[in-house]
Amino acid sequence: MQKVMKMVLASFAVCLLVVPAMADSHMETLKVGVQAPITGSYANEGQGIENGVRLLAGQINAKGGVLGKQIEVVTCDDQGTAQAAAICAKKLVNEGVKMVIGSYTSTCAQAAQKTYYKAGVLQTSDGTADSLTEAGYWTFLRNSFPNSAEAEFVAKYLVDVKKYKRIVVLSDFSTYADGLANAAEAAIKKMGGNVVSRDKIKADSQNFTPVLTNIKSKNPDAIFFAGYYSDGGQLRAQQMALGIKADFYGGDANDNPDFVKLAGSAAEGAFIVNVPSPDVLPYEVAKTFIADYVKEYGEMPPSIWGLMNIDGMRAIIHAMEQNGSFDTRKAADYLHNLTEPLPGITGPIAFAKDGNRKGGAYVVKRIQADGSYVNEYVQ
Amino acid sequence: MDIFLQQLANGLTIGSMFALVALGYTMVYGVMKLINFAHGDMVAASAFVGLTIYTQVMGQATSLPAVIIIFLLSALAMACIGVILERIAYRPLRTAPRLSAVVSALGASLVIQNGIMLIWGPRMRIFPELVPQIYWDFGGVVISLIQVIILVLSLVLMVTLYLFVEKTRMGAAIRAASIDQDAARLMGINVNSIIALIFIIGSSLGAVGGLFIGLYYRGITFNMGWQYGLYAFIAAIIGGIGNIPGAMLGGMLLGLFNAFIAGYISSTWSDAFTFILLIVILIVRPTGILGERVAEKV
Repeated sequence: MQKVMKMVLASFAVCLLVVPAMADSHMETLKVGVQAPITGSYANEGQGIENGVRLLAGQINAKGGVLGKQIEVVTCDDQGTAQAAAICAKKLVNEGVKMVIGSYTSTCAQAAQKTYYKAGVLQTSDGTADSLTEAGYWTFLRNSFPNSAEAEFVAKYLVDVKKYKRIVVLSDFSTYADGLANAAEAAIKKMGGNVVSRDKIKADSQNFTPVLTNIKSKNPDAIFFAGYYSDGGQLRAQQMALGIKADFYGGDANDNPDFVKLAGSAAEGAFIVNVPSPDVLPYEVAKTFIADYVKEYGEMPPSIWGLMNIDGMRAIIHAMEQNGSFDTRKAADYLHNLTEPLPGITGPIAFAKDGNRKGGAYVVKRIQADGSYVNEYVQ
Repeated sequence: MDIFLQQLANGLTIGSMFALVALGYTMVYGVMKLINFAHGDMVAASAFVGLTIYTQVMGQATSLPAVIIIFLLSALAMACIGVILERIAYRPLRTAPRLSAVVSALGASLVIQNGIMLIWGPRMRIFPELVPQIYWDFGGVVISLIQVIILVLSLVLMVTLYLFVEKTRMGAAIRAASIDQDAARLMGINVNSIIALIFIIGSSLGAVGGLFIGLYYRGITFNMGWQYGLYAFIAAIIGGIGNIPGAMLGGMLLGLFNAFIAGYISSTWSDAFTFILLIVILIVRPTGILGERVAEKV
């Protein structure tokens, strides 16, 4: 009997502790979710996103928070895989977040998309796959520019500006890379360019020489690789090791310091297509934020992608403040109907009705012997 | 023809890395009848140990003696870890049912993999460019200095190992222990030190394999041991597990097979075909290409 009493008392005590915490969780703070690859091959980028979000949240909290509420950041590591991303989505929704920043890859953003839509949680990702906005979820706000914009630019540059005669388009199997490569191939063909080969590699498999050997036999003068830096750097090194003389163009996700480190001395002369880098952003808000970031973490943001996500978060918070409410539907409506673009770290931000970010200008950067970039062509 | 020869060169390079790692599996299996699943993660660990020796001990020197010292120190470190692993994870279970030892091996694999993650972090680390990027072009077939080094050094190590096992007294003791441990003990062979020796040799060969992976591909991740371990394990089975020349042959065959499938069919399918090859070999020749048919001890 004594035992039973003890158990009843114990469970009662537990209830006392737990119940108020659960009831008040919605009211105390504004919960912001981060879904990003904190571990795995893209950890560098994922940690950049989390660092940026925590920095911005800290800055907003120091100024009194959003509508009087402090921001609480909840991070979930999606490891860059669709399986983990789907679990993260459920976890963050259960945590009661109002918005989710991330993820870095289109694959992960897509795997989580529907869960957020059903829960009415706003999601802002730098994923560039066109398919992300095709479902028409009002909760999804793309803070980067879609693949189709980059593909058009690449096609125009390779065919019209550089006049390459034999182009190879290469990608991995991910949503983003495959989508970008298909769009680029279609755009190049539409402009009358000659795609001699459209090949695929398996991400993380490290050994790309068999595919590259086949590419060599096609005698290309340009290779466009849509895929991630962790493969791109090794691909470039192996391309040079096989003596393939073609110019190498890496898509936007190759824009990461690790690309140069992986390629080593072979990095020199490779080209990378992307929106302008963080260090050359001309905007005042960008300079301040990056200076704060360097002061806090002792290094530059790993790439533009973390900053794009920060812009998405700033836009949503701005919308909530303007509406005077945390209602996600109202915030989305506000952002879909902006009459004037908001000033962002990565340039003016405005959203189309389908959740795409409007605008977008690209640059082609050449890697120099010391690993730094020089602008080869600016749109 | 160019393409064929180029794929051949690629296949042999990867194959010799598989073979070096496969030796570790096959030697341990030969003596202990244990599949050492931690071996792949030891290989990954050696790449990280090599990286740390390069940055912390050698002060980022890239001269030839420095590279040789990095190889020797990494092999030494991994040999020590291999002996400790055997002492902690396998020796207490030597008389236990075989399944217990396999579970212990899987556990050791997880411990090492997560240990690497905790020490060096989950991010991909970049291995230094220790071998200059020099290439020779033989009428369209390009071979790099690193490929030549990997191939030659692997062959030298494998031939040395073969001669050691076949021609020396210590080698004879290893062979005796692999045939029958109890009888070997009756003949005055210290089986414990033979097993320790097996782990020293297997782990240091694996360490060389790990450094080759780092030097050749440059990017190393804490969980890469699983992938290379699996390939090497398959190579050991194809050649006949427990058989030393079999592991070398299996590694080379698997490297070539992978290169040709990826080159002529599709890199997407190379893993699928590898496992189909494994299944076919297990059906047609369950003991592997060079494996001998041994009656199961009752």
